[in-house]
Amino acid sequence: MQKDDIKTIRFALIICLICSMALAGVQGSLRGIQERNKQIDQQINVLKALSPDFAPDGSALSEDQIALWFIQGKVPKDKIPAYFENYVTEKEVNLPKGKTSTLYTLKKDDKVVSYAFPAEGKGLWSTVHSYVGLESDLATIRGITFFDHGETPGLGGECSKPWFQENFRGKKLWEDGEPLKFEIAKGKADPVTDHKVDGMSGATITGNGIQKFINKTFQAYDQAVFEEKRAL
Amino acid sequence: MPAINKIVLDPLSDNNPITVQMLGICSALAVTAQLPTAFTMSIAVTLVLCASNTIISLLRNVIPPKIRMIVQMVVIASLVILVDQCLKAFAYEISKQLSVFVGLIITNCIVMGRAEAFAMANPPKESFLDGLGNGLGYSAILIIVAFVRELLGAGSLFGKQVLPDSYPGNGLMVIAPGAFVIIGLLIWLQRSITKKYEEA
Repeated sequence: MQKDDIKTIRFALIICLICSMALAGVQGSLRGIQERNKQIDQQINVLKALSPDFAPDGSALSEDQIALWFIQGKVPKDKIPAYFENYVTEKEVNLPKGKTSTLYTLKKDDKVVSYAFPAEGKGLWSTVHSYVGLESDLATIRGITFFDHGETPGLGGECSKPWFQENFRGKKLWEDGEPLKFEIAKGKADPVTDHKVDGMSGATITGNGIQKFINKTFQAYDQAVFEEKRAL
Repeated sequence: MPAINKIVLDPLSDNNPITVQMLGICSALAVTAQLPTAFTMSIAVTLVLCASNTIISLLRNVIPPKIRMIVQMVVIASLVILVDQCLKAFAYEISKQLSVFVGLIITNCIVMGRAEAFAMANPPKESFLDGLGNGLGYSAILIIVAFVRELLGAGSLFGKQVLPDSYPGNGLMVIAPGAFVIIGLLIWLQRSITKKYEEA
């Protein structure tokens, strides 16, 4: 082996060592903050579905606060984990076909205020993730949030905009003893019914995908969990 | 040795990395639908460029020629991961929107190109300034493109509505082809002003 080669290998080793140590150090020291960010982000999404216009402590939010939550998407982040811990319970549930999921319950003074469950499925380009919040009647949508998707901005990407999500509130997924076929219209919902919402123009496939996975997930939950709860 | 102000100012226009050298086009298409993402990306790329140019210039006399490209890559990749980790910790929202594009700074041709073309042959101070100049040149184009795209696409600037609500939004501007058109127009504009172009 030539002297040059040994020098080259030595240099490569030193560089790799320095770089990996620097990165490991940074990653280690930032991990705590990063995981907290992720957790808060997820909790905010659950809360938007569970409690769109009430603070989790049961008090109504002021107009300004609603504007902050919904229009600007800004939430008092540092307060979220404590809120969550005090008012929301998480429960693993078994769905049909061997799937498991998490049901979130918002309680105030031991009374259930609302439920939320995760639902996800294919849009046009990507998997769209959402949380669907239900009133304590387990039939009416209380809030919904779409997040983490790769749909076309301005078209299917509109699903994460407040106008689209607001659109779902008060609509029914269940009536007269069975799940309804919930629909996302092409354009404006016409006629306006309690199980149809305005669609996003230019995003038929995203809309169809969302419609399909909301119906499917709700039905699975209905079978596995909700029927029993209603009977109580 | 080129004069110092020339090193910084040249890449802003006459030797702009995007419109003249045609480097870094893909990220310029991907992150310019809105100003905040373009802004963050600009800062990230400029930081990485300055740091990688400086480090590689410091090492330029000890890097074995056989593995110089790999060493450049290791340095650049480490810096990019560093930036990505910091964004995830301190600017979570924006890092979510930029998603993979921060990581892809590693493959941004500007960074590697400046390391190989400038930093390997020049002292640290000049290399730092070269990185700064190229970073700012890249940033300038990104911000111009994002300004036009967000204004015409969504009628807003930095997320604030500036055009009346009746403005319908231009669908072309929010998708990547819109950026192609604007970058094309920018290149046309620049070349017709500077009169610098290769004859076909």
